[in-house]
Amino acid sequence: MKTIKTMTRIKTYSILIAIALTTVMVGCSKDDDTPEPAAPSGGGTTPVHEEELITSAILNFVDTAGVQPSVQVAFRDPDGDGGNAPTEHDTIRLVANTYYTATIQLLNESESPAEDITLEVQQEDDEHLFCYAQSNTNVAITRTDSDGTYEVGIATFWSTGAAATGETTVTLKHQPDVKDGTCAPGDTDIEIAFVTEIQ
Amino acid sequence: MLHSKLLFVLVLFLSTSNCFTQTASCNYTLSGRVIDEHDKTPLMFATVYVKELGRGSVSDDKGNYKIENLCKDTYTIIVSHLGCDPVTETVTITKSLKHHFYPEHHAEELKQFTLQEDGVEEIVSVSKKELSVKELNQSRGESLGESLKTIAGVTTLNTGSSISKPVIHGLHSDRVLILNNGIRQEGQQWGNEHAPEIDPYIADKLSVIKGADGIRYGANAIAGVVLVEPRALRDSSGINGELNLAGASNGRLGVSSATLDGNVGKLKGLSWRLQGTLKRSGNVTTPNYYLKNTGLKEYNFSWALGYNKEKYGVETFYSKFNTDIGIFSAAHIGNLTDLQRAIEASEPLESADFTYDINRPLQHIEHELFKVKAYWLTGDIGKLNFVYARQYNLRQEYDKHLPRNDSIAALNLPELQFEITTHLGELSWKQNRTSAFNTQIGVATINQANTFEGREFIPAFRKYGTGVFLIEKWRSKNFKLEFETGLRYDYIYQKVYKWNRSRRDYDSYDYTYNNVSASVGAIYKPNDKLTSRVNFGMAWRPPNVSELFSDGLHHGAAAVEYGDTNLIAERAYNTIVAIDYVNKDFLIQIEGYYNRINDFIYLKPTLPATLTIRGAFPTFNYTQVDAALTGVDLKVSYQFTNHLTWEGKTAFLNAYNLTANEWLVGMPANRFENTLSYEFLKINKLTDVYVEAGIQSVLKQNQVPDNSDYSEPPNAYNLLSTGMGFGIPIAKKQKLIVDFKIKNLLNKTYRDYLNRFRYYADEMGRNYTLKLKLTF
Repeated sequence: MKTIKTMTRIKTYSILIAIALTTVMVGCSKDDDTPEPAAPSGGGTTPVHEEELITSAILNFVDTAGVQPSVQVAFRDPDGDGGNAPTEHDTIRLVANTYYTATIQLLNESESPAEDITLEVQQEDDEHLFCYAQSNTNVAITRTDSDGTYEVGIATFWSTGAAATGETTVTLKHQPDVKDGTCAPGDTDIEIAFVTEIQ
Repeated sequence: MLHSKLLFVLVLFLSTSNCFTQTASCNYTLSGRVIDEHDKTPLMFATVYVKELGRGSVSDDKGNYKIENLCKDTYTIIVSHLGCDPVTETVTITKSLKHHFYPEHHAEELKQFTLQEDGVEEIVSVSKKELSVKELNQSRGESLGESLKTIAGVTTLNTGSSISKPVIHGLHSDRVLILNNGIRQEGQQWGNEHAPEIDPYIADKLSVIKGADGIRYGANAIAGVVLVEPRALRDSSGINGELNLAGASNGRLGVSSATLDGNVGKLKGLSWRLQGTLKRSGNVTTPNYYLKNTGLKEYNFSWALGYNKEKYGVETFYSKFNTDIGIFSAAHIGNLTDLQRAIEASEPLESADFTYDINRPLQHIEHELFKVKAYWLTGDIGKLNFVYARQYNLRQEYDKHLPRNDSIAALNLPELQFEITTHLGELSWKQNRTSAFNTQIGVATINQANTFEGREFIPAFRKYGTGVFLIEKWRSKNFKLEFETGLRYDYIYQKVYKWNRSRRDYDSYDYTYNNVSASVGAIYKPNDKLTSRVNFGMAWRPPNVSELFSDGLHHGAAAVEYGDTNLIAERAYNTIVAIDYVNKDFLIQIEGYYNRINDFIYLKPTLPATLTIRGAFPTFNYTQVDAALTGVDLKVSYQFTNHLTWEGKTAFLNAYNLTANEWLVGMPANRFENTLSYEFLKINKLTDVYVEAGIQSVLKQNQVPDNSDYSEPPNAYNLLSTGMGFGIPIAKKQKLIVDFKIKNLLNKTYRDYLNRFRYYADEMGRNYTLKLKLTF
């Protein structure tokens, strides 16, 4: 009689232990339980794979005749979207009745040294298109580079007319599998409106 | 004022009676007495428990018991009483029934009344509504959010067709608590596009508490609580199970889910359960086009092991939820110009055909829950409960495009990843209901850590919290009147680590919250037919880290959102009055509520627009205002004949910003639903045969603030649906339940205000669904 009681007790205990064990086992699996932020104090390690940013767009104009001075026009928002306001948003000032070649450069200046995003756009030139829309500027803009089928727009040719003041909107469209030479398809990676003065 | 509103609702109902519903005749009542088999004395405080429904009633001083809202079905009734062997009887309900139970009294035996009910009872004078067995069967295969929509006053906030969050009385996300098997779900629930990480097939019972319930579960439940409850583990030896299969034509969805329950006879008290679900769906289609990349994959499993004796018991539960959700590609936009183009286009700018493939953009989510629950009877006076749970949540969001840098792109990492780990512990004690008064006390703790990789949408944080609560109930001798009151104090400490890009280091912020929740309520049941409840609840919610720290472009919303690190906790004062009247052939459930929320946190449009390299975006700031949400939920059903039943449901809500004197943005539109069903009790071997037709009418949301949205709220719409179902007994213990439904019968093109993709595409077109449930 007593042995039966003892046995029942042993059984009971073994079951409880079994449950406790499963508990511990499960508790242990995948227990990255204390996910400290990458560096909660000091250290200065960046979060693992920080996102890819475009902080700056720079247009460089060169007079094909080599007479007028070269012009650099920039848009800079070093901390990315939101946060602090852009630190630089220049006006495009070009001389009337002049032919310029222009190139656009995109940078991530939140990194040090700054990362040149233009190179990456160039590598995927069949998925990207720069568009230059204007209003009241008296400028004819043509893209002068190609991905083999369609233009890309990193390099352009600007022919200025009479003096005027208007706006040029520079857009970079990301068009994987849908690039057709027009600006319509795809998503917008950048869109910057520059006040443009032809003088 | 309220009077005229109610009248208005009723009139609207009557005028829309060309229309119709689903839960027909669940208006039956089982009542009678519990009497000692030997000396024929009435037994008071005997528990009469309906196993299938997981609910029951307690007999009064004359031994009388009553269980309401039963359907035409066969139920297992377990009657237990102090010092009696539990009596199990099968009762078939075809009409309201009187039935007496005669448990046998053994004075010398142990107190056999350890029913598998959970420890502490929540505040019950708020309104708690549960899906009927039929509604639950019909909802199988759908997400948790969609399943709950049959309850009046509950809607969903959707992101496309695959992400659906429950909205209770206009509030959602952090303001609605979800309890998964008794544990508060701790994932990334703050996000509008983050669906609850729960497999609804775990549940045998889905219910919603409408009203502030901060006492039992702590902070955040200022709108309500969703309860996902599995049935109790088997208490007698043997094995049983359930196989569920569901299919839908739209998206070519297939789901299979199985549950196996067992009890090891040799080791009395040891029971177990295994459960798993597989789900797969492809691109869904609107009446006119497929939606690109709207597939879904889900694989979940859970197990439970319990060892329950008279005086003590231990249960462990583990569940793992995994899903990959494709995000509709055409809803991805780069800037406002893209958004404007998408809104103006009559069809999405990216077309697609059917495929099961899921590509970028997508979400990969995992959620793990482990729980141990134990109880110990503390003599005759009460029961001590202990719960510990650990949750781990992984959320990975993949952007539409791979990074431009090829070497980074080759890694194919998510652009956004959150990992949150939560430990919860609770110790509570509940007094046995042996006198008019009943006391429950408890203490709960939480410890949470969140980290991110990739884009910093919300920062990393740690959180520690402790709460103590007391619930006191009083019931009159004749059981007609019940009062309850609850009090809870919570302390939360949170440390936030925000990445500072220019300093290239983390800034840390400390937050401490001390808050009291309270609840007072009464239930009055003057007779068998009428139950009235009134409750006043005071609850609170600390601001979440996205409200405190958002700082930048929210791509999904095409807006620059700024948090405010100085936000304080929201405080809700919620009054709810509910009246249920059930007659032989008539049922009415009406609930009115007024939820006043002080320091309500919302996104306020602010000038000027924010200039970015992608163009200018509207600016929003998280701001605190005083808000008032007033509404009425109504459900009416009328049984014309034994077979023919009409059911109507409606939900009205006014949500007002008292500080700015304007409407609150993003609130569900007023709606009606009418169903007419025809039921046959039996046709040959078939049981519970029904056919039904319904119409759902959703009005246009006109109560929106000016200049708060990119386009006007979508127009009102009416959706027709029809369905049928039956059960077939296969063998003695096996039964197959079949349910077939056609949703959006007329393949109507429409958009819904509470779908975040309403700018880009129409809602799903016609959908044939078939559900099979085999119990064995």
